[in-house]
Amino acid sequence: MDELILKLKQEIIEVLNLEEVKPEDIDENAPLFGSVKPIDANQEPEEIDENAPLFSKGLGLDSIDALELIVLMEKNYGIKLKDPAKGKEIFKSVKVLAQYVEANRTK
Amino acid sequence: MASNVYIKAVKQISAQQPLCEEWLEHPITYTEPYIGSVEPDYKLFFAPNEARRLGKILRRALLVSRQTMKETDIHNPEAIITGTGLGCIENTEFFLKDLVNEGEELLKPTYFMQSTHNTISSLIAIDAKCNGYNTTYSNKGISFECALLDAFLQMNGGKLHSALVGAYDEMTPDYFTLLKRAGYLGKEGLCFAGETSVGMMLVDNSPQTALCRVENVEICYGKPDWEYLKQCLNFESVDAVMTGLNGEAANDGIYNRECAKWFPQKPLLHYKHLFGESYTSPAFAVYASAICLSRQYIPQHLFAKPETAFKDREIKRILCYNSFENRNHSFIILSICGR
Repeated sequence: MDELILKLKQEIIEVLNLEEVKPEDIDENAPLFGSVKPIDANQEPEEIDENAPLFSKGLGLDSIDALELIVLMEKNYGIKLKDPAKGKEIFKSVKVLAQYVEANRTK
Repeated sequence: MASNVYIKAVKQISAQQPLCEEWLEHPITYTEPYIGSVEPDYKLFFAPNEARRLGKILRRALLVSRQTMKETDIHNPEAIITGTGLGCIENTEFFLKDLVNEGEELLKPTYFMQSTHNTISSLIAIDAKCNGYNTTYSNKGISFECALLDAFLQMNGGKLHSALVGAYDEMTPDYFTLLKRAGYLGKEGLCFAGETSVGMMLVDNSPQTALCRVENVEICYGKPDWEYLKQCLNFESVDAVMTGLNGEAANDGIYNRECAKWFPQKPLLHYKHLFGESYTSPAFAVYASAICLSRQYIPQHLFAKPETAFKDREIKRILCYNSFENRNHSFIILSICGR
């Protein structure tokens, strides 16, 4: 799984042209999309989003990046994503993506 | 009453040093037939990841536009008018190669989105949050002049007060190979094939702070009506003619013949030896002329014949004459601003 996670990180960096980002900069548990703020130590308990990452901001990708990733999934792993709702779940983080690829890849 | 049109600022990225006028004193010379642009350090101008999705031509276009707007302090021009011969040709090639190799189902959306000609003008508009007039002219070797003419006529008629006019073209190795094979580029004596990124802000006011005035713009197809042009553009009072001489015999023959007839005794200037040949390279004629008028100085290396060079003389009017394959012709008169 670690090998696949690293490979996915490298592919994401390449296909999305994330200049200056290295695989080790990407937290495999951090959300790929949106601009979710990491938890601030000064936040009140009720202000904390229970789904927010503990240590890292997400990559802040957008809908065009999602389309690029869908092409990447099909091209490199033979996975066709047709249900947009499913895509939202799969692209939650690199780790979730790796688990889905592991379970569904055809090549 | 017709409004005067002025060039308030102009910025370029080319085969010369980018975003500056270093070429006036220290021009870079080339012997290769195909030269890409000298790229600025984009990290100094774009936030991390801001330009990651943009192709080379889009980065250049966005940067020269931003720099032009910054220098003029006009951040929301009323019009963005762009000339491009090839548009985003690099991304078009990427897209077509994917189409051939992967079929129609695995195409990258970014290449598709950025493979149209009007991507450039629309990107600048989105970046500047400019919802006004936005047009792209893609008419081969006269694309830039069409864009300039549009802005000039609208401003002259009082419909616009500011317009960002740009000329953008990139050259890819594959496209260069095709044009070379077709006999258009890479010929003996011909200057290098280059790339164009020029952005200029046109305004109808503040001549005191402008680089020069755009007195007139004329374009024609086929044989020019020289007698009409002579009167209309007042050839007599032109101090120099900025030509598209490029070292190739057939092309230069047109300029030498027509200029000897219609501009005898007038010094001929050239710029393609510095900026290269591309569909929108005439934008460099306007750029170089505007800079020369503003600084009241024409460097020696811009004179096609060194013996015609002059200095310590007021430069009031420069005519930019471009002939594209002796089929499309453009005449742009730039003059010194009243100061």
